[in-house]
Amino acid sequence: MNTLANFYREREQALLGGGFILLLILVWQALPALIALPKGIALFFTTPVEVIKSFYQLVARNEIQSHVYVSAVEFIVGLTLAIVVGLPLGLIMGRSKVLDAMLDPFVTAFNATPRLVFLPLLILWLGIGIWSKVMIVFVGALFPLLINTYEGVKNTDRVLVNVVRSFGASEWQTMKVVVLPNSVPYIVAGLRLAIGRALLGVVVGEFFGASRGLGFMIAGAATNYKIDVVFVGVAIFMGLSLILTHLVKRLESRLSRWRPEEVKSF
Amino acid sequence: MAFRNVYSDYQRPILGMASVIGMVLLWEFAFTYIFPLNPFFFTKPSLIAGAFKEQVVSGSLWHDIAVSSKAFLLGFGLAVVVGIPTGVFMGWRRRAEYTLDPFLTALYASPLVALAPLLIIIFGVGLTGKVALIFLLTVFPFIFNVAAGVKCTDRLLVNVVRSFGGREKHIYFKVILPSILPYIIAGARIAIGRGIVGILVAEFYAASEGIGFAISRYGDTYRLPDMFAAILVLMIMAVVLTEGLRKLETLLAPWKAGQEAR
Repeated sequence: MNTLANFYREREQALLGGGFILLLILVWQALPALIALPKGIALFFTTPVEVIKSFYQLVARNEIQSHVYVSAVEFIVGLTLAIVVGLPLGLIMGRSKVLDAMLDPFVTAFNATPRLVFLPLLILWLGIGIWSKVMIVFVGALFPLLINTYEGVKNTDRVLVNVVRSFGASEWQTMKVVVLPNSVPYIVAGLRLAIGRALLGVVVGEFFGASRGLGFMIAGAATNYKIDVVFVGVAIFMGLSLILTHLVKRLESRLSRWRPEEVKSF
Repeated sequence: MAFRNVYSDYQRPILGMASVIGMVLLWEFAFTYIFPLNPFFFTKPSLIAGAFKEQVVSGSLWHDIAVSSKAFLLGFGLAVVVGIPTGVFMGWRRRAEYTLDPFLTALYASPLVALAPLLIIIFGVGLTGKVALIFLLTVFPFIFNVAAGVKCTDRLLVNVVRSFGGREKHIYFKVILPSILPYIIAGARIAIGRGIVGILVAEFYAASEGIGFAISRYGDTYRLPDMFAAILVLMIMAVVLTEGLRKLETLLAPWKAGQEAR
């Protein structure tokens, strides 16, 4: 008895948190058995077991693989482009006062606006192939990366910069030795935000103009009332998002271990 | 000399304005004199201004904004009403946090817009579906920011209320609520962006009116000047709301400003 109480006390947080999620899933599964669902709701209802079953079917019929592949390509290409463009631009904006002042209105405006608003325009320009989605992922992920890189550069210790300068370092050397290492935790925090925006871009982009991809699968299944397939897609997106965010968070805490004040943003 | 002083004092706004104006002029000039303009593919500022004026005069712009705003306000209001008490509860009760935190964090971290088609099919194309989606997207910033704020409440103030015989209710209303105000504003700032995403997704997906619907319909019918005008209106609204709340945040809690990376 006592050992049980001790066991609980030591792992209270994990037990309560895990238990609650488990409970919700069980209630969800048991709901149709417990109460008779009205016809209108039964049409939109599915259970966790059904969702898992239809996941296995989709895998067995080789249907889901090509959707995941297309979505993954869009995500990776768009995010890579955003990193390639965002990091240098953030560094330059952080180091040059004039460029900072000139680009700031655009960066503020685009950052405050959800970039999804450009989706119809991008589909009009680039068609419904993968490139419109790559671009929406790119513009979504670009600004968190750019802004966090910029903040990292701005928060560089002036003393360190001055020391390197006194020893005759060029702008490029200052960047390499002081500014860039200092900005790394900020950049990783930006990457975490960017991953969220990129996934959002993939999902929504595929809802509206696509012929393949997980978002396309979800939208198609919803139209045909295949609610279990909808949840398969949603679950895959949730899983991917959680795994990626978790990995980046670990990277983040490892990189900012030496830092007295944590860089935080959600 | 005087000019140089003015320039160095106001360098940032001057350069910013100059680059915006320069960009607009360059855009107009390039497509008037240098490149031939394909009206099905691109447009230029003078045409956008004309389309904007026409939309304002005909009243279609106001109608679209009003329809979208109604959904936004209802969803956002519901998120405030549900999110703040949940956040306070989670921040104040340790066991409540243990129980709810993993579940809600998982939901917050995942792209919940993926549920949009389902919500719209369940709740219909009209107002309810939009409100449900906006609520789902905006409730989490409130919950997590408020919970974080409650945890930062000054214990001393709580003890003072207790010493003077105050009850649980007094602690909530006299200590916790005032001290989480800046956190609520910060949550609102994040929620606004997500709420606009909700409007856009719901109205792109299935709608018959609203600003998101207007943008996607103008796109489908190749009315690019109208489309750009609607996009610009949405951008201006987003900037005003977000930057306004950021100002409010610095006003209410100057010590917090700039701590959080955007």
